[in-house]
Amino acid sequence: MEMSEQLIQVITRTVVEQLKNNEELRNAVVRRYADRNGQNGRTGVSSLAGKTRMRPKHSYEGSVRAQKGTDPKEIVIGVGAAFQTEITSTICGIPLSDVLANVKAGIEEEGMTSRVVKVLDTSDVGFMALQSAKLSGSGIGIGIQSKGTTVIHQKDLYPLTNLELFPQAPLMTLDTYRKIGRNAARYVKGEKVTPIESVNDPMVRAKFQVKAALMHIIETEQLDPERGMIVWDQ
Amino acid sequence: MKLIAGVDIGNSTTEVCVGEVSGSGGFRFLSSASRMTTGTKGTLPNVLGIRSALEEAMDAIRRPVSDLDLVRLNEAAPVIGDTAMETITETIITESSMIGHNPSTPAGAGVAAGELLSIRNLWKGRPGTSYIVFAENRFSFEETARRLNQYIPELDICGLILQADEAVLVENRLSRKIPIIDEVKHIHKVPEGKMAAIEVALPGTSIRMLSNPYGIATLLGLTAEETRQVTPIAKSLIGKRSAVVIRTPNGNVTENVLPAGEITIRGGQTVKVNIDAGAEEIMQSLASAGEIEDIEGQPDTNVGNMFSRIKSGMADVAKVHGEDIRITDILAVDTLAPVAVSGALAGETCMEKAVGIAAMVKTQHLPMQKIAERLENELHVKAVVAGVEAVMASLGALTTPGTTLPLAILDMGGGSTDAAVLERDGTVRTTHQAGAGELVSMLIQTELGLKSRVTAEQIKKYPMGKVESLFHLRLENGAMQFFEDSIDPRYFGHVVLLSPGEMLKIEEDIPMERILEVRRDAKKKVFVRNALRALQAVASDHDLKKIPNVVLVGGSAEDFEIPEMLTEALAEYRIVCGRGNIRGSEGPRNAVATGLLLSYIGSRT
Repeated sequence: MEMSEQLIQVITRTVVEQLKNNEELRNAVVRRYADRNGQNGRTGVSSLAGKTRMRPKHSYEGSVRAQKGTDPKEIVIGVGAAFQTEITSTICGIPLSDVLANVKAGIEEEGMTSRVVKVLDTSDVGFMALQSAKLSGSGIGIGIQSKGTTVIHQKDLYPLTNLELFPQAPLMTLDTYRKIGRNAARYVKGEKVTPIESVNDPMVRAKFQVKAALMHIIETEQLDPERGMIVWDQ
Repeated sequence: MKLIAGVDIGNSTTEVCVGEVSGSGGFRFLSSASRMTTGTKGTLPNVLGIRSALEEAMDAIRRPVSDLDLVRLNEAAPVIGDTAMETITETIITESSMIGHNPSTPAGAGVAAGELLSIRNLWKGRPGTSYIVFAENRFSFEETARRLNQYIPELDICGLILQADEAVLVENRLSRKIPIIDEVKHIHKVPEGKMAAIEVALPGTSIRMLSNPYGIATLLGLTAEETRQVTPIAKSLIGKRSAVVIRTPNGNVTENVLPAGEITIRGGQTVKVNIDAGAEEIMQSLASAGEIEDIEGQPDTNVGNMFSRIKSGMADVAKVHGEDIRITDILAVDTLAPVAVSGALAGETCMEKAVGIAAMVKTQHLPMQKIAERLENELHVKAVVAGVEAVMASLGALTTPGTTLPLAILDMGGGSTDAAVLERDGTVRTTHQAGAGELVSMLIQTELGLKSRVTAEQIKKYPMGKVESLFHLRLENGAMQFFEDSIDPRYFGHVVLLSPGEMLKIEEDIPMERILEVRRDAKKKVFVRNALRALQAVASDHDLKKIPNVVLVGGSAEDFEIPEMLTEALAEYRIVCGRGNIRGSEGPRNAVATGLLLSYIGSRT
């Protein structure tokens, strides 16, 4: 396309006009916000004053501390602090109750049993899974963060080594969760476990980074280390 | 004082041995070394490997290679081996008459017979008729269980076939315990309204009713004639954990014999034999043909292609054409290969009969002289081709403590098994037989249905263990081995091969006992059989009992179990047989190189 000087002028004018409009719009918003807060629109910056958390603290009043199991067929599923309370679906929108049901079904199909606990000491999925494994009668535990990230762990391993890790929560499906339960049960039985086939997408990180960070903050806010790990059967 | 080197170019390794000869005829071995053979045995690229092996051996005694006075090369046996596999049977299921497979988790236990009914049509069921219900995977386990529970009080539902892997989940939610089979992939092919029988065995056992023709007859009410027809079905279900048999008018399981082509053996007389006759028949035909001149395979069969492939391979190496290159021996072995059954509903496989064939091609001689010339030019050391491989190997083997003349050697390599007998009067008889390490690898690969030949090679080479927990593994002989630090979780529950330095895991889901059985069986089929065949060929009057000593040399003699197998097998003939220990220090390696040095001294005195 030929760029004449005239055309450039027209474009420039339009852009400048647009910018000016935006400025006005922003000022209007700030003014309105300031009016609502009973201040004069002097600062032009919205205030976060008084806002210290993203979600109100959940009360675990009356909760029961989870005990160490003795059943050699048992797998403990440790869920995140905000699981099914502040957060009800994973980062890609799968309802958390379905996630839990599928992991449990996978375990049940292999003839093992499951027990769900909520981990309130940590929101790090590696430690969540390890602590669940230590409570588990079989020594195998599964940690699930509210955003969907999952780890299968064994009680004698170091926190950062694990049996299986599913780091890309946005790519998980219910079928994957079913298979996670199945694999965990096979570890208990000492069978040969084939790692779950999973998809990999290098753009996932960029796309979901902000959402993941926010969900993690919400989860971390809800920690209550005093209570430790509690029985969770919702 | 003269420094002499003996060089043995083998199919896979090049070995050298350096010794010192004093003026008075005294002799001392100084050092030895071995390297991978570079290029095909008997071709010019070998020179590279020879040089580096010589350098290593001379380094060990801190002398430059140029100090050598003479390099003696062996006249390498001009043989190349190759292997091929021909499947000769196939199983076909017609009209979806059978499902027999081993889903990892069927549920319930017991036998049931009834009319097939889709879960969608439960409302059509009539009280008083037994039904076997089938459900596609779009019905969740909750939905399936709910629907069945609703109809169980009025209908006689006695069995369930599922497409999804949810048998245990459904069973836990049912109000009545019935046998359930799951993971039936092609469930849409199950014909509704037909009679079917279903059986699930208890864990650790296999089905008994449906693997018995009379059992099927009892359940489905068959006549004597029909019972005769279901015998192949019963046979193919033997050993399964769960099975379904559906009664359809023309349904059957047939075993077809595939046309696998012919082999023509030209010897004292010309014999033709069909590959589908089996290994026994082929080997008998081979024996009846007398002295073999050449063997041909029918074009466009696996065996025919293999024959022409190794012939052209040898033509390239030896730079000769046509009639000079002849296949002089084959070894056929019966085996079984897992093949997917056509017409199967659950992706079943069936062990089909197959024949594995190793062949050996022979030419007049390899261009060894050219290698000697090139070596002389590059190293400025006199190089000569001296001695036939088998003779040199016998001489070298004689340095094993405890041996005496007459002495037989068995040289077990990758492509061929060679034997030689060295008599007291110095005469030597030799033979080259097809079939050795590579055939064993191929048998292991097909029988276990492995994807890669490399895995099969590793199974052949290393002992196994099963990782039972993250801190211990069970070895193949039943012993336990414990670890201080955890084993890498990737190995958990796998069968692993204990190669020196690291564990190699086997991806396929095969029990350790099965691998062990296949491995030992393959080695026995090839090596024990070939050893007897080869020794018989070289023994005086073809009488094995006239051989007092057999020394095992070559790569496969280093195997952890083959020498023991041969010792056992040959003990029957009162033959002392064992792995060689060349010069009391080298093990089964370096026999030919050592023999080359010894023959030099012999030729001077």
